[in-house]
Amino acid sequence: MSDRLRLLLRLAVRNIRTQTRRSILTGLAMVVGLGLLVMSRSMAEGGHEDWIEKGVRMGSGHVTLQAPGFAARRTLDYRLARDDLEAVRMALGDSSVAPAVHGYAVRLELAGLASSANAAVPVAIVAVEPERERRFSELPAKLVEGRYLVAEDGLHAFVGQQLLERLDLDVGSRLVLTAQDAEGEIAAQLVRVAGVFRSGVPETDQGVVHIPLSTARGWLRVEGSATSVAILLANSRAVGPATRRLERVLADRADRVAVLDWKEAMPALHAAVRLDDFADWVFHAITLAIVALAIVNTILMSVLHRTREFGVTRALGMSRADTGTQVMLEGLVLTSVSGLIGIGVGLGLTWLLFRNGLDFTFLFEQELEMAGVVFDPVIYPRFHVSQILWSLGFVFVIGVLSSLYPAYRATRIEVAEAMKFE
Amino acid sequence: MFRSPWWRIGWRNLGRNRRRTLFTTGGLALGFCAVVVMGGLNRGLIAEMIGNGTGILDGQLQVHDSEYLPERSLYETIGGREGTDVERLVAAVAADPFVSASTPRVFAGGLVSSGDGTVAAALIGIDPAREPAVSTILSTLDEGRLPLPGANELIVGREMARQLSFAAGDEAVLVAPAADGSMGNDLFTVAGVFDTGLAELDRGLALLPIGALQRLIALPESRIHEIAARVEDPWHAPEVAARLAGPIAGSETEAEVSAWTTFRPEMVSYATMAEGVEWMLLVIVFVIAIFGVANTMLMATFERRHEFALLLALGTTPGVIVRSVLAEAVVLSTVSLVAGAVITAPILVWWHLAPPDMSWLYGGTTLAGGLMRPILRVEYPWLMIVEAAVALFLTAVLAALYPAWRSARVPPADTLTGR
Repeated sequence: MSDRLRLLLRLAVRNIRTQTRRSILTGLAMVVGLGLLVMSRSMAEGGHEDWIEKGVRMGSGHVTLQAPGFAARRTLDYRLARDDLEAVRMALGDSSVAPAVHGYAVRLELAGLASSANAAVPVAIVAVEPERERRFSELPAKLVEGRYLVAEDGLHAFVGQQLLERLDLDVGSRLVLTAQDAEGEIAAQLVRVAGVFRSGVPETDQGVVHIPLSTARGWLRVEGSATSVAILLANSRAVGPATRRLERVLADRADRVAVLDWKEAMPALHAAVRLDDFADWVFHAITLAIVALAIVNTILMSVLHRTREFGVTRALGMSRADTGTQVMLEGLVLTSVSGLIGIGVGLGLTWLLFRNGLDFTFLFEQELEMAGVVFDPVIYPRFHVSQILWSLGFVFVIGVLSSLYPAYRATRIEVAEAMKFE
Repeated sequence: MFRSPWWRIGWRNLGRNRRRTLFTTGGLALGFCAVVVMGGLNRGLIAEMIGNGTGILDGQLQVHDSEYLPERSLYETIGGREGTDVERLVAAVAADPFVSASTPRVFAGGLVSSGDGTVAAALIGIDPAREPAVSTILSTLDEGRLPLPGANELIVGREMARQLSFAAGDEAVLVAPAADGSMGNDLFTVAGVFDTGLAELDRGLALLPIGALQRLIALPESRIHEIAARVEDPWHAPEVAARLAGPIAGSETEAEVSAWTTFRPEMVSYATMAEGVEWMLLVIVFVIAIFGVANTMLMATFERRHEFALLLALGTTPGVIVRSVLAEAVVLSTVSLVAGAVITAPILVWWHLAPPDMSWLYGGTTLAGGLMRPILRVEYPWLMIVEAAVALFLTAVLAALYPAWRSARVPPADTLTGR
């Protein structure tokens, strides 16, 4: 049987080589289709990873720890007390968790009102540990004037540019933050603008104020506590395992500390990534369907042309199954060779882009925000073995699907009729 | 030219190998369908973004005092400190043929308290009678009723209601810095709760009757911050803004008219980018299709090399052979276009009239600040349809060039004497 298969394979390869021009043309469609697939998947993954990384750095981290109920109510009634934070620190130092953690930030987040003599604007007050936050968040790097908070700061604030404009203030001016403290009283705090940022996300630039955590704790009478701990991991793939491990380590405090991943904490970002991915796959499904149609057509034509040939080989003793197998092999060899070349071309192009990325600036006139994250118009590809496996899978499926019908046709050839052909 | 017999010959040649023709037209029709449907989805996405981005609250057109933006100071009301004749100005904006409605607004920032807690909120004074014709936010009310004009009532977002444990009928205390330098505060009744799906609005916005807010922040009735207007086709808004800028400003007060393209430039930017992506899509799909068509034409003409040799031997010029093959390609693309239209039209119409619920795929998200609901309606991409049709013809003709050239160079004597 294996001898027979080898013989059929040789026949198939020879047939492909005799029809050089046709094979090349058919193969080219496959090369373009697969090359595009490999390249655009790595670009999409790179883009998404960058997007997620920006989103989680701006927001609540790959994984965030907070009191159950805080996500819904966002008041200080749902906060992590001193001993909860201590347990969280222990958990982050645990040997099963620590290697995956790239950084974390302890924050106290609260809605409040920022007012100056000129206006009063609702804001999100984020109280941070300046040194940790500087390493964690993207915001300190978006500085346009002044400086970011430092550890010794007391009554200082880091404010969005648009917010500053609306309050009609400058660096060094004072503003009043008003919020509800832990006892339910309205408390005001005077702070001085230390620095100004511009992130490009309107919501953030209009409504985020960073102040030192120590200041907020005194002002809101919540000594030692915080509302959330945002954790940064190596990449988004590490989220699942890390979440499970953290849940296990913190299991005895499950009623006090909830573990949320970025998909739960930032559903809009997750939705945007899913939507973008979906559009990408639809596009590939369509191009590959067109490629498959072209291949069916070519193989089918070559089968119908060779009616006489198949008649002869059948008369010489090949079975219907052999004839079908031969055609099947022709299709598979053609698609896999061209598919592999396509994957190679795609990888080559991707490799070229690793250093400098692909610059889409020509498409953007302005910064573009999606799901609260500003797109970086220069996209760097990201390679993962699963992309190759997917592509190989596609090559195989296209090969099988587009050879099936021609192979079936070839088995239907009647020997006597075929000999009369031509 | 149209009476040339080559059209009929081309048509018949297509009929000679129906299966081959079916696969080739299938490929082209699929390409056409894919490009047009994706173009339609893209248009739908843009329309959803702009529709929600401008329609929920902003309006497509806004009139402010020229000093109001970007600080949004409480004091910079239209017409300066003296105010203006609000009714006349609102009517003047609505008088433009493209403007379907306009409404006055007052803005302030303040604290909203219930017995349970306090949150900071943007307070917007609206006219409950006129607002629904301009924006959709009042139609998202999912509990209670709208506030009555002039009454001390307000409606708040779903998220704020949850944080403050508000239900319709509850009492709320509003505190806001007022225009006379004092702190305005008063007791209000929560008339209802709205749910736009946009987190920042649902969490941080309270709407109250314009008169009630003016009382709270000590502004007389003649002083408003904004007139928002609805322009049915958002893309007409810049034109309307340019037209209104003159007369309104000229009549009595110094005002600034801006279209959404000015105050939401990121949306224009996204729309421009999306059009670029459409073009890339078009090119990629048809480049791939070229290979398929070229291959088929090459085989079809190779089969007929005896026929071409005979024609050449009988005195047909190579140019005529080229034209005949190209004619066949044109007929092929016409058939493909008809097939493409037949499969595309129902998809487009269905997706436009009954957009499927895509919430299995993604929840609500935002794009350039506009809400994207998980129900995506396809808009008819008229320009894209024309472009795709042209691309389809070009593809077929380009793909036929090489086969046509080869057919015209068949050596008659060798071919006819056999092999």
